[in-house]
Amino acid sequence: MIDMHIQLTSQAYCKMLLHTAKYPHCAVNGLLVAEKTKEKKKDGHGGPVLCVDCVPLFHGTLALAPMLEVALTLIDSWCKENNYVIVGYYQANEQTQDSRPNQVAQKVAARISENFNEAVIVMVDSSRLTMSCFEPIIFIYDHVENKWKNREVTTDAFEDWNEAQTITSALLVGRSYENLIDFDNHLDDLRNDWTNPAINKSVLDLC
Amino acid sequence: MASLSEMYDVGWEEMRDKLRKWREDNCRNSEQIVDVGEELISEHSSKLGDDIWIIYEQVMIAALDCSRDDLALTCLQELRKQFPDSHRVKRLTGMRLEALERYDDANKHYDAILQEDPTNTAARKRKISILRAQGKSTEAIRELNEYLEQFVGDQEAWHELSELYINEHDYGKAAFCLEELMMTNPHNHLYCEQYAEVKYTQGGMENLELARKYFAQALRLNNRNMRALFGLYMSASHIAASPKVSAKVKKDNIKYAAWAAAQINRAYKVSIEMSYLDSTFHCFYSFFFFIGY
Repeated sequence: MIDMHIQLTSQAYCKMLLHTAKYPHCAVNGLLVAEKTKEKKKDGHGGPVLCVDCVPLFHGTLALAPMLEVALTLIDSWCKENNYVIVGYYQANEQTQDSRPNQVAQKVAARISENFNEAVIVMVDSSRLTMSCFEPIIFIYDHVENKWKNREVTTDAFEDWNEAQTITSALLVGRSYENLIDFDNHLDDLRNDWTNPAINKSVLDLC
Repeated sequence: MASLSEMYDVGWEEMRDKLRKWREDNCRNSEQIVDVGEELISEHSSKLGDDIWIIYEQVMIAALDCSRDDLALTCLQELRKQFPDSHRVKRLTGMRLEALERYDDANKHYDAILQEDPTNTAARKRKISILRAQGKSTEAIRELNEYLEQFVGDQEAWHELSELYINEHDYGKAAFCLEELMMTNPHNHLYCEQYAEVKYTQGGMENLELARKYFAQALRLNNRNMRALFGLYMSASHIAASPKVSAKVKKDNIKYAAWAAAQINRAYKVSIEMSYLDSTFHCFYSFFFFIGY
């Protein structure tokens, strides 16, 4: 059994949480991207896959196909331009007490797996979302023996947990989520940039 | 700490007008409503006249959304004083109980309203919302169907039902709800576009062609609906790429897709010019080759 270590940068983690915080009454989802590495070790024991960024996709109704296809295609192109690869999918459910990956999550993850073998599902536990971010509030699911299995999340899942915690907390308190753009916002107005350069800059400034 | 009006140099009239716009558009920007509304109520209540009551209602609901029970209670108490027997205010009391997750108490409260007034649609819909909040989708769907048998013209209810069905992946029934909405609102481009998305998701050649037609219809109603434009491109492309269609159908759909592509292209060009965005958008041009024709 391949034990793939996935690590999240502060930028990836905080944008996921900002997306969740922006739409507390909705389900939200998005994609996780990593830099494409040249060495592909056959035995699967390379270094951890570093998720450098995430792209927030939709809020509200997640279960419709056409815009999801558009988003996947556009973001795939963007990835190629930037030497990224889509390595995972995140979702926060509408029901805060339910943080299991549903059919939508599994379908999208299966699609991502076509391109990246060890795609993960990251579920955000919005019931534990706090301003202080004192603990990681994600569950990471790997596809093992045809099932999605929950793996224990420690601070090892982060490139630098303290940094991630500080930055995410600061941005939540500062209400940066009001300016977070997801793909839905982009479809409402093409000028809305789903790469979120302004928030990326805020993250960099806080590093 | 500076007040909002000091920070942004807005007068109370602008704040009042902003609240009105958010009411009319049914926006759920609760934090902003609380910020603006709380200041308006505490500093300028005397100037608002009769508007104050609807503002209390709006701010109260937004306060519930933000866990500001203190503010919600203040607004509720003012409304209770002014309208002691109002069912509309009683509904707000129920909503506060819901926000506190006291669902049993809330249900009892709504049942009491319904005892006095069995036609009270607001109370019935709140009960259905409680079911949704508790994750009881099947019951919510059942109750909503029963409600709609009686109140067949309630568009908000049809839309809520379509959402519930979509979340359950019951696209056929979701389509039926959207058909009802399109019938009674033939000029609403959003319903057309959502219907097309549901049909597309259902899949199969017939549904794809229907999807394409309704994306096109949505565009006729509003030529700036980007989802409809993208949807038209996607559905036409899929049809054109299918091995099962005739040469004529293929040719027609290639034409539709090409037209949509050009429109999307133009829309991006305009938006880039307007916003000086960097080249994140040129990745879009490779988008057109993904279907491979």
